[in-house]
Amino acid sequence: MLPLRNNALGVNRLLVALSALLPCAAISNAFAGAQAEINEDRARYHYQMFCQGCHTPDGSGVNAVPPLKGMMGVFLRSQGGREFMVRVPGSATSKLDDMQLAEVLNWCIENFSSNSLVNGEYLPYTAEEVGKLRQSPLQEIDNTRAAVLAEIARLPE
Amino acid sequence: MMSLIDKLLERRARAAAQTASRRGMLKTLGGVLVGATAVPLLPVARAEDGAARPVEEGSDTDCDYWRYCAIDGFLCSCCGGSANTCPPGTEMSPVTWIGTCHNPADGRNYVISYNDCCGKSTCGACLCQRDEGDRPPYRPDKTNDINWCLGTSSATYHCSTAVVVGVAFEE
Repeated sequence: MLPLRNNALGVNRLLVALSALLPCAAISNAFAGAQAEINEDRARYHYQMFCQGCHTPDGSGVNAVPPLKGMMGVFLRSQGGREFMVRVPGSATSKLDDMQLAEVLNWCIENFSSNSLVNGEYLPYTAEEVGKLRQSPLQEIDNTRAAVLAEIARLPE
Repeated sequence: MMSLIDKLLERRARAAAQTASRRGMLKTLGGVLVGATAVPLLPVARAEDGAARPVEEGSDTDCDYWRYCAIDGFLCSCCGGSANTCPPGTEMSPVTWIGTCHNPADGRNYVISYNDCCGKSTCGACLCQRDEGDRPPYRPDKTNDINWCLGTSSATYHCSTAVVVGVAFEE
């Protein structure tokens, strides 16, 4: 009887300990799933391999390399800005396929937007949307960027 | 009827008294509290930090060293720096090119950032050219044929590092 009882108590204790941990896991999963389907490891790897070399590890950019940090959400405020982030050559002509490009863009939005997202929300890019937009890569990047940002600056608050 | 319920309750109460101690709840709660604080110390929680830490074998002053699989330049470890750091008096370029190398010591592929050190004339020691995964300049983010001293105050190339920035994702 005694060993059984101890065993039962042990299981109980384990269950109590587990139930204390589970709510945290459930919340963080639900949060990630609500925004976009992102494989964190794959997205980070693609950022490192195809973006980070110039945009730097935290997305700050340097000199002529524009920042992603604090800007991703700004560009998302207009359709032109949304398209700009896919049509820049670094995105459009990268060797990532449409799904991977959409994923890494969504990952960047989630990691580098800081407070720039309106209400902290955004509509994730899909492979289909990215696939269409990247067929017309930008030639005049600096001018287009300035024009897009000027248009966004004129938007009502 | 009442005595039946009475007996049943009594049996339950006695059983509970036998299996649960009066301070059992406190003990369990205490265990959970202490356990929860210990969770971040367990290897599970630290796995991510350790993930990018490769098993090291070989010398970083040797061109055959695993991290140099795609390097083209002078090894900073022969120039007063290391595979991760620039020699004194030079500045590490924040703009760089990034590739992957296979580490035979642990069988994993790692993401390597080949940051150049800039601001002093060419080091000249330990020239190393391996070029695995190097691509022509029309793939500018994957070529080692250009001077990567781009984000620094001086564009003068001195030597190259090979910094591990992560583990490669296996597609």
